[in-house]
Amino acid sequence: MTLTDYASALDRQSAVVQKQSRPACPAEIINLRERNFIMLKKDLILRNPLRLLGQENQDILPEGGIGAVLARAGVGKTALMVQLALDTLLREKNVLHVSLNDPVDKVRLWHKEVFHNLAEQYNLSQINQLWDSILPKRFIMTFKVEGFSVPKLEERLRDLTEQDIFKPQMIIIDGFPFEGSVEEPLQQLKEFSSRHGLRIWFSVRTHRHEDPGPGGIPPQLSNIDGLFNVILQLLPEGKKVHVRVLKGADSTADYPELLLDPATMLISPQSK
Amino acid sequence: MEKDLNQIRNIGISAHIDSGKTTLTERILYYTNRIYAIHDVKGKDGVGATMDSMELEKERGITIASAATFCEWRNHQVNIIDTPGHVDFTIEVERSLRVLDGAILVLCSVGGVQSQSITVDLQMKRYKVPCIAFINKCDRSGANPFRVIKQLRDKLNHNAVAMQMPIGLEADLQGVVDIVAMQAIYFDGENGEDLRVDDIPDNMLQEAEGLREALIDAASMYSDDLMEAALEGEVTQELLLQAIRTGTLSRKLTPVFMGSAYKNKGVQPLLDAVNDLLPCPSDVDNQALDMKNNETQITLASDASKSPVALAFKLEDGQYGQLTYIRVYQGTISKGDTIVNARTGKKTKVGRLVRMHADQMEDINSIPAGYIGALFGIDCASGDTFTDRDNRLSMTSMYVPEPVISLAIVPKDNKAQTNMSKALNRFTKEDPTFRTYVNQETGDTIISGMGELHLEVYIERMRREYAADVDTGMPRVAYRETITRKAEFNYTHKKQTGGAGQFGRVAGYIEPADNDEFEFVNSVTGGSIPTQFIASCKKGFKSCLVKGPKMEFPVTGIRIVIDDGASHAVDSSEMAFQAAARGAFREGYAKARPVIHEPIMKVVVESPTEFQGNVMGSLNQRRGIILGSQDEGVMCVIEAQVPLAEMFGYSTVLRSSTQGKAQFTMEFNTYRQVPQSIAEDLVKKAQEGKKNVA
Repeated sequence: MTLTDYASALDRQSAVVQKQSRPACPAEIINLRERNFIMLKKDLILRNPLRLLGQENQDILPEGGIGAVLARAGVGKTALMVQLALDTLLREKNVLHVSLNDPVDKVRLWHKEVFHNLAEQYNLSQINQLWDSILPKRFIMTFKVEGFSVPKLEERLRDLTEQDIFKPQMIIIDGFPFEGSVEEPLQQLKEFSSRHGLRIWFSVRTHRHEDPGPGGIPPQLSNIDGLFNVILQLLPEGKKVHVRVLKGADSTADYPELLLDPATMLISPQSK
Repeated sequence: MEKDLNQIRNIGISAHIDSGKTTLTERILYYTNRIYAIHDVKGKDGVGATMDSMELEKERGITIASAATFCEWRNHQVNIIDTPGHVDFTIEVERSLRVLDGAILVLCSVGGVQSQSITVDLQMKRYKVPCIAFINKCDRSGANPFRVIKQLRDKLNHNAVAMQMPIGLEADLQGVVDIVAMQAIYFDGENGEDLRVDDIPDNMLQEAEGLREALIDAASMYSDDLMEAALEGEVTQELLLQAIRTGTLSRKLTPVFMGSAYKNKGVQPLLDAVNDLLPCPSDVDNQALDMKNNETQITLASDASKSPVALAFKLEDGQYGQLTYIRVYQGTISKGDTIVNARTGKKTKVGRLVRMHADQMEDINSIPAGYIGALFGIDCASGDTFTDRDNRLSMTSMYVPEPVISLAIVPKDNKAQTNMSKALNRFTKEDPTFRTYVNQETGDTIISGMGELHLEVYIERMRREYAADVDTGMPRVAYRETITRKAEFNYTHKKQTGGAGQFGRVAGYIEPADNDEFEFVNSVTGGSIPTQFIASCKKGFKSCLVKGPKMEFPVTGIRIVIDDGASHAVDSSEMAFQAAARGAFREGYAKARPVIHEPIMKVVVESPTEFQGNVMGSLNQRRGIILGSQDEGVMCVIEAQVPLAEMFGYSTVLRSSTQGKAQFTMEFNTYRQVPQSIAEDLVKKAQEGKKNVA
């Protein structure tokens, strides 16, 4: 696919999104002062290549669904997850980022770096204002791996939702240990997700020495892949990192393949 | 007092609040025979720690002013500065680090790397101070020194390596295993003064060997000799210590010691480490600026025979006049010498020289290079450099943060009025972050500083030390005004009311600038404003910045460009153009969508997990954005950004909602726009205030 094809593919997507986001009420009040800012946000959402993975609706994952990003250590799982989070934040939805490895500061730095790279790529002005506007919609929670459990997460979330402090619409869980028996906690999280209308993304670390099973699914997920609605894989080949769709998402051949740029850690479509 | 420079250590002890800095200093003084009994911070005997000499410090159990002392340990002289942990007194820490050669970073074995540890670490980085870490409170339940070492690596990016491992933990803490010498050390006697060296317990041997291997691995990066010796399996203790020292001095390696100062365990090996691993004055490169030679940087030599260079880093007003703490970097300052203040050029004769031990002093005859001492009867400001007549060198100045909070104070009676001004005079001289001025409109005396506690402590000191009782108003936040878009102005000032007329026209535009400073750009061409009046225009604009037209807060972050104007051969004057600029500013400013900015604080609360919900609720009620929560087992850390205006009295709220089990720290983060509804309230209040004044 050439770049022109890609552009027209994006246009098609934009048309779908714009059609959907058109208000039902005929007269919408547009605050002229705010307009530039809102347009900037919309522009950023539409230009996001992740949109190419999306279905007709705006999210890659359906409501109540869970998804996984697979890769070997250091390839860019967190970077991709942060981009999924930023995309959701820009669409004014709340994101809870749960990290079982890194301290809050490090996660915050990830978000800031990826956001700034994104803003730089599109030459955005008003970066600070945009950043300030998405900040209240994000919440970072860190746990020690051994101290993490689904009931504990639910309890923490109850603290937040009952006092109306924060109600997530998407949860990112980075560093969940997939070694060992995870079927039960995953099942619980899936139920939790559908009960609250959430979308949950997991990062899954794969290993070089393990051969993938049928469909490219790694052994850690071989028995539980049914639980996941979408599975994405980051595959390094030479200097490029390919984003492969192993399960779910709209991976029809209409759209170009996506790459993760190792320098900026941003997703971009492959130009041939 | 003169010793070989290699046997001098100028060190500081800094850490988060309540990590036990003062307790550790107390033990160091005891083991080095400077004091003969141990008194604890807030101890039952009511005496208080030696270094907390201020009455207020003893009562509150916090260190407010950094105190200097010295001691001798195994033929080395160690000058120690005990610094406050609370972020409000951060200037004290900055000052101490500026003149220190090395530091001990104290960490709590339960709390680990806490918010203030991060601030202290940043300050150490700024002044390139090499440090060793001491993990204190290993006797507390939940202690885990190896988790703290991991945090040192993860959170502070230190290449931290364990030099010891604890024998037993929590209530069962018995001693430490020295990984360099591969021996166990126990601390016997009533106060842990008798060291007993023994074999490493069998069950710990394997782990100790593993740690030693890791230590050799890390240290061999800094010594080829050690690398070779390691390959041949012949690592000697001296070789290993030498390599660790090289790594530590270059700030690439942080050796970690452990123990419990309160339970008298692990302090003596730490003192050995100060001698073995921290730099002596000649190990550190100190730079000064040559004022005679276009401020070129020159390196000072720690040589007592060269011409003297000394830095005044702390002032104290005592009963005998001003006491000036100095650190001599080069040469010697002796009684009877004439020294010159490089900033003012004023010559002074050195009268009395003393060495400080908390609030007691010892007379001495000279202070040679590398030493810290104090001068009496010299009038200077904190940060001044002293040299001899021939040189004009200046040590680069210290970083002084801007105050964020202010408070109106009114003396209760006439006597208090006189005493209050005396007190304020002294405090502002001692502490550059504490400022005071008189509000022209209300006539109130305003004091400003780094936080609520900072001001509270000064008011209390005014009452106790100067018998000045004052009433305090509501604390006032340092709001700022700025503009959000570009706007043009074209203003003509014309007056013809008898006598000489006034005429001036100024045109151009005003726009937001990225930094906080005021920028003035002159793009006038063709002489439409004569060159001699450009400075008046700048002056006129600048005079408007002190008080913004919107809310009378200082205006920051604007750029003013003038590109056109007009003048009159007779009626134009400097005054006329100043007035024209003021008019132009008002015209442009009103169109540039002015907004109010407020200081936003980074608030970090450490609380038991069961109160996490309460804490988050309390922060949320205060317009706080909660950035995240970190689960640390029994404790959790919540980070948030909260407007300073909402944080008054938070300590009481936090105490009551967590049964007093949580603590918080707060430091300035950024300025951010005030929400519309709050801004309206502020405008209303300002208008009411104006009415009352009228």
